Order: sequence, then C-alpha cells, then structure tokens
Amino acid sequence: MCSNIIYKDVVKRFEGKEIVNALKGVSFEIEKGELFCLLGPSGCGKTTLLRISAGLESLTTGQIFYGKKDITTIPPFRRNIGMVFQSFALYPHMNVFENVAYGLRVRKESKDIVRKKVTEIMKLVGLPDVLRRNPSPTALSGGQQQRIAIARALVYDPEILLLDEPLASLDAKLRRYMRAEIRRIQKTTNITTIYVTHDQEEAMSIGDRLAIMNNGLIDQIGTSDQIYHHPDNMFVANFIGKMNFFPGTIQEVQGNNCKIQLEHNQKRLDLFFEMNPKREQEISKGKKIILGSRPEKLTISADPEDDLLPGRIRIIQNLGKVTRYEIAPLWDSENKLIEVDMEEKLPGIKEGDTVYINFDRKNTLLFSGKKAI
Amino acid sequence: MGITSNLKEFILEQSKKDYTPYIILSVPLLFLVIFLVWPLGMSIGKAFVLRGNELILNNFTFANFQRFFTSSMYQRSLRNSFVISFSVVFFTLLIGVPMGYFVARVEMPFKKLILSLGILPIITPAFVGAFSWIILLGKQGVVRYMVNKVLELVGLSLPPIYGLFGIIFTMTLTYLPFVFLLSHGAFKSANPLLEESAMIMGASQSRILRTITMPLILPSLGAASILVFIRAIGNFGIPAVLGGQQYVLPTLIYFRVNGFWDLNGASAIAILSVIIVVIALTIQKKVVSAREYETISTASSEHKLHRHPFIKAIAIIYCSLVLLISLAPQITIITMSFFRQWIGFLPAGFTLENYKIIPQIASKAIKNSLFLATSASLLTALIGTLVAYITERRRPKGAILIDFTVMTPFVLPGIVVSVALLSAFSSGPINISGTFLILMISFVVRRTPYVFRSVAASLTQLDEALEESSTISGASWYYTFRKVTFPLILPGIIAGSILTFATLLQELSTSILLYSAKTQTLPIQIYNAVADGNFGVASSLSVLLLVTVFIAVYLMNLFVGESASSGFKLG
Repeated sequence: MCSNIIYKDVVKRFEGKEIVNALKGVSFEIEKGELFCLLGPSGCGKTTLLRISAGLESLTTGQIFYGKKDITTIPPFRRNIGMVFQSFALYPHMNVFENVAYGLRVRKESKDIVRKKVTEIMKLVGLPDVLRRNPSPTALSGGQQQRIAIARALVYDPEILLLDEPLASLDAKLRRYMRAEIRRIQKTTNITTIYVTHDQEEAMSIGDRLAIMNNGLIDQIGTSDQIYHHPDNMFVANFIGKMNFFPGTIQEVQGNNCKIQLEHNQKRLDLFFEMNPKREQEISKGKKIILGSRPEKLTISADPEDDLLPGRIRIIQNLGKVTRYEIAPLWDSENKLIEVDMEEKLPGIKEGDTVYINFDRKNTLLFSGKKAI
Repeated sequence: MGITSNLKEFILEQSKKDYTPYIILSVPLLFLVIFLVWPLGMSIGKAFVLRGNELILNNFTFANFQRFFTSSMYQRSLRNSFVISFSVVFFTLLIGVPMGYFVARVEMPFKKLILSLGILPIITPAFVGAFSWIILLGKQGVVRYMVNKVLELVGLSLPPIYGLFGIIFTMTLTYLPFVFLLSHGAFKSANPLLEESAMIMGASQSRILRTITMPLILPSLGAASILVFIRAIGNFGIPAVLGGQQYVLPTLIYFRVNGFWDLNGASAIAILSVIIVVIALTIQKKVVSAREYETISTASSEHKLHRHPFIKAIAIIYCSLVLLISLAPQITIITMSFFRQWIGFLPAGFTLENYKIIPQIASKAIKNSLFLATSASLLTALIGTLVAYITERRRPKGAILIDFTVMTPFVLPGIVVSVALLSAFSSGPINISGTFLILMISFVVRRTPYVFRSVAASLTQLDEALEESSTISGASWYYTFRKVTFPLILPGIIAGSILTFATLLQELSTSILLYSAKTQTLPIQIYNAVADGNFGVASSLSVLLLVTVFIAVYLMNLFVGESASSGFKLG
C-alpha cells in the first residue's frame, strides 16, 4: 500500500523581487513505513521540501518518486497523500465528522463506508466519544484538534503522510504526550511519514531517521544516535544538542594518541586524545582543527591541575537531572561561554568562582574545515 | 502598604472630584436624544394620526397605513422598492463576486489601479450616475442611438433607460464596488491552508470553491448584500431621475411631503421602509451569524495565484469590461460638461460656457454646500468621537443601547431622517424648517455612525493600559484624554471626518425635503438642472463636485492608508 519516496537532485528557486534558492540539489530516499524527520532551523528549506513532496510547490529541477511512480508533475489532489498542517487547517464551517469525512466524500465513498471509516479512525486517534456530540472543531482543545487533523489526513488510507510542525501550536506538556501518540499512530498504520520540525528534541525522540537540513541542503541523514554521537559537521553537532568548540593545532601524532595544542592568549595547553582509526589518514602534524565536546562530556573541579582550562562561572542553572555551569574561559576573552553539565552539583562552588575544565578524552570530536574528521 | 493605600486614596480623591467627564460626555448623548430619538418618536407618533390632527391618543388611527391596501400607487411603489432592492443585490453579487475573485486570485497587471478605480462609483453621487446614463441610454442617448442603428436592421429597438430597468441598471453599477471590494478582501484573506488541505485530500478546484472557499466568504457576502440592500431601498436620486411614473418608497415619501405637506402619511411610508430594512437585517443576521466562524489560527502564507493564460485572459477582459461600464458615467459627464448638447452620435458645440457660468449661477449653492459639509463634519467628528469614547471606555450600563441608537441612521434611508426632523421641528415651539440649522442637524445625525465606527475601531486597538498609566501618574480625566487618548485616535477621527465631508458634499436624499431657496446646496442645484433638461450645466457642476470629493477621499486614504471602502463597512 504505502511506498518509499525518492528525491533526485531536487532544486527549488523562488523567483520574485529577489531570487531565493530554497533547495540547492537534494537527493535521498525515505524507506517504506518509515517515520522520517526533516529537522533544521527556520529558512533551511525543510518546509519547502515538504510542500514540494505534497505537490503544493512545483520544483525548479529534479524528480520525486513515490515507489516507482514519478510524481514530479502530478498535482496534489491526484497524489493520494495526507497532510497535517501546523495550524491544523480544520474547516470551521463543518463539524468534526464532516471534517474527518472530507477526503472520503471527495472519493465518493458510500455513506456506510464513510461512517465506518470515520468511526474507526476516531478510535485510532483516541477520540471515539467526540463523534457523539459532533461539535465544530473550533470548540475543541488544541490536543483534540490535533488528533482530528491526523484522523482527517489518515481516514482515506493515503500512501504517504506529511506532517508540518504538527506540535508547534501545542503547549510543552501536551507536545511531549502527543509526540508519543503520533509515533504510536504511525506505527499502527505503518504509513510512510515525513515529519517536519525545528525542535531537535522532538525529532530525536520521534523519528526512525532524521535529516538535518541547513541552507537548502541536507547536511546529514541518520538515526538520532548516529547524528548525536557522530555528527558530520559542526553545524549538525551544535544543532543537535549543544557542543562546545575549542580551536587548536595538532602537535604530534603518536600511535593511538594525538597531542593537540589549544589556541589561547596566555599559555599553551597540551592534551592527548585517543585516536579513532577512521581519523588516522586525516590527521597530520601542524593541521588546524577544532575540538568539540558535549557539555556532559566535560567536567569541572575547583583544584587547579596542569593541563586543565581555567574559567570563571557566570551562571549556575539547576535543570533537575543535571546542573549546568556556564563558564567564561579565562584563556581567551573572545571565546563564547562554555557549557558544562554535571550530574552532581559541586559543593561550595558559586557564581563568580574560578574553576578548571577537564575533557573526557575518549569522547571528543575533531573537526577540520567545519567537517568532522 | 503605606504606598498602596496612599495611592488608593489619591485615585479615589481624584475620581470623586473629577466631574469633567460626566459633563463633557453628556453633551453628545443629549444631542442624540433631542435630534434623533425624539424626532423618530414624533414621526412614529404622527404616522398613527391623520394630517392636521393633534398627536393624542383619541386621534389614533391606522388610516395612513391603509393606503398600502387601497391605493394602487402605494402598492406599486412598495413592489417597485422590493423588486429593485432585491434585483440590485442579486446583480451586484452576480457581477461583483467574480470580479473580486479574479482580482484576488488571478495573476494580472494593474491590480492596484483596478482596486482604486473600482471605488469611484461609490464616491460619485448616485444621481450623477443616473443622469449620465440618460445622456448615454436616454430617449436621445448616444449609445442607444448607435445600438438602435444596428437593431433597426432586424426590426428591433432598445427602449430608453427610464423605468425599473434603468433604476436597477444604474443602482447595480453604483453599488457594485461594495460587493467587489468586500468579496475581494474575503477571497484574499481566507486562510489558504484550508484550501491546500482540501487539495491534498484530493478535492478538485471546483469542489474546493464550492465546499471550502464560498462557505467561508459567505459572511462577507452577507455583509455586502445588506449594505447594498439598505442603500438601494433608501436611494432617492436614481429613481427620482430615472423613475418617470414608477415610484419607489423614497420618491413616494417625497411626493407626500412636497405635494401635500402630509408628514403623517410620509411617516407611515417611512415606518414601512424601516420595517423592511429591519427584516432584511434580521434575515442577514440569521443567515450569516450562523455561519460566522472564528478562525482557528491566522495563516501567514499567501494564496497561489492562477497563472493559466486562459483564466488570465478571461479575468482581464471581464474586469476591464465591468470597469469600463461602471466608469462610463464619469467619462460621460466630463465630456458633456464641455459641450452644448449631446444628441445623436457625437456631442455638439464645444464650449467652456458651462464652466464660465458657474460663479454666476451656483456660487451660493457652492458656498452653502461647503459651509454645511464643513460645519456638519466638525460637529459630527466631535459627537461621534465622544460617543465612541463613552461606549468603548466608560462602558456604562446600556452601552449597547447607545451603540444601537447612534448606528440607527446608518440603516435609515436619508429621506426618513428628514421626515423625522420635520415631524419634530417644523411646527410647534421649535420651528427650524428651511434653516441651515435643520440641514446641519440632519447631516450630523446621518453621518455620526461613520465617525463613531472609525473612532471606535481606533479605540479598540488602543491599549487601555496607556490611559491607565496616565491616570496612575496623577493625570485628570481631561488631561489624559487630551494628552494620551486624543492624539492616538486622531487618525481615526480624521479619516472618519473626511469621509463624512466627502459624502455630505453629495448628500441629496436628506436635503431634498429640508432645503429652502436660501439654503439650496450644490447637489440640489444639479438635480434641478437635470430636471430642467439643462445637462451641460448639470455636468460642469457635477465635475466640480466629483473633483472635490475625489480630493477629499484621496486625503483620507493618506490618513488611513487602506482602501476607502473600510469606512463604509457595516459592523
């Protein structure tokens, strides 16, 4: 029933007063039954890619296939797809039943089938009782409207489901709940789904795979684990979770270890890191690199040791599970604040104190020319 | 604790002392009671006694209403009014909605121009449109002359424009802009995602139009229809110029008053026409408010425009054709104003005489018009602003009643207002008939809704915290109003006042019953020139009037920045 989606060199240029290159040549494949997230900052082209997938925008060049079918020039109403909009786009002039039944009516289904399918789908989205009162959708809560929008998109068994920031207009608590619901519904129906969001936590928790988009291109595709632990470049590294960056130069390569000298104003620090065999050929003496480390992979202590970086604590935030220290590095006044997440709060340390930052030498990434090595 | 209690005491003290708002704000309410509520009451009372009889319970009678059952002239007028109003609503919708759709949803050049030219018919005095159609389609009309040359060959002929057909035709063109502009706005602002989602679910273009777009813009069409209906049923100038033997309710009222000085009979007709308007309003409210939807969210995305060359061609041809026909009156009177006569194909006898003669024959009317329009606009601005302030900020008990009262004249035919004023102030202790005062009062009463709406809209957009913070800082009510509220709502006041000025310059249906030789206004002089068949002078005076009105509306657009139509909207 449902199919995979293949994008071949998709380019989209908006030509108005100024030309906007929204998509600059995107090629990838979404697998059958997959819940695939398109993630990126606003203006990265994710919404354009979704609207192109729906047929609401035409592409400038390139091709799109649903399975073996080339649907590049097929208008949206012949594609047999379902879509949930950020604002839900429920019809205020129809009651809930008629909203959900709309696609079936378009397909000229018989009365009995319409009733049966609407009832079934409302059960699936967890709102079987709403049909009894059958109010206008405007009378319902945001979460209920969301479920109705999903029901309306799924009721006629489309080949593909498109979700455009479906949770963006819900409050934080409901959003966490609904994302589990969406994943449940998607796995029940096993429909190939594209899910657009700018919220990285949402994308990581819901998607089978993610594509990180930036500036009209896809930077990386992978599972959330792959992307979090092995980001392809600095943009992805800092977009999916926080990453602290430290510019430096490779001084020595010794078997599994390499010695890196970090740049700073007053003194030089030499650090050893364990080598990843993959990195080996890219690493050579004298190469300028950037060292990346996630906040939870850094630790701080109050005792000065030789090869630790000194910094002054600006802000301490208690985030529940961890305590976040935002630290101004003392060796480089221009450097951005460094974030360190500690599971245990350090006793006696307060804002304004000087502390020393230590690296987890096994969990550090190296970047060169913004790309991971 | 000390500070808050001090503050409370201070505010309490201030509000105790400050009687200014009550004094200032009671003035406009008093005005409304004396010059609107009281005259309407008198008029209703008079409708139930016979002419010449005192207004007491013993004289109570339905005789004035019985004519609708006995007189064929009354019955015909009533029927004509019905037929005309409903036909005009029907035809404006039929012609205006496609035009609104095309301009909103089809990619085509000169959209701004089409939108601004489209407004011209409403800001052109209606009776000017009527007499220019006489020039084109009258007994010796140019267009009719040409068409008949062709029709002769097949033994047919086009009847002259007089009568029901001409009235419906002219009114349709005059009120088309309401439907065009309101439906254009509705088509443009309807949430595009609703249509896109239907498309994704597999619906075709025509299905989307039928099941999504049209139901959603229905409230706007309802508002436009009622606006057109109210104007069509209350219009005096067009049926007066084109009606011939065909009377409608406003011309019948005029006939009753002008011919017999029968205010009682006229009041009865007035009541009937108001009842019709009220019924129409009720139906509109019933039909439309059931379909008035709160939008779930506002979409920022824009509609995709049709780019198909075939659709584009149809849209462009359609809009140009409609514009050409509805702007024909303006073109005609400008041409006519430079010629002696226009019988047959071309106008004959180029001359500037029509203009040269203006100072000699019309300087009094021009002065009267300018004086009345200016002074009435200023007074309207004052009263409209204060009443809007009362209902929006003071919100006394019965604010709805005030709102209702001040809006009443908006739905009353102009001639009904003058019948009411005559009923109250043409005999007895206060007799001001034939004076400038009664004209000015009628103008103010009739146009207060414009300023009221305009200012009320500015006030709702104005955050009340601004005024509250001024009060907290220790400013008195008057100081706050002068320094905070007034400057911020000034654009709304100015917009409403200029619109008032522009419409008052062309006012005919109110002044036709109230003017005297001393107080004759420019529209009345034009109307009389038309009645005398002096089309050259009527045209040059109309051009003068048009130019003045256009300048005023242009100035208003500078202040509002939006289309001038917003000021005409109801509710």
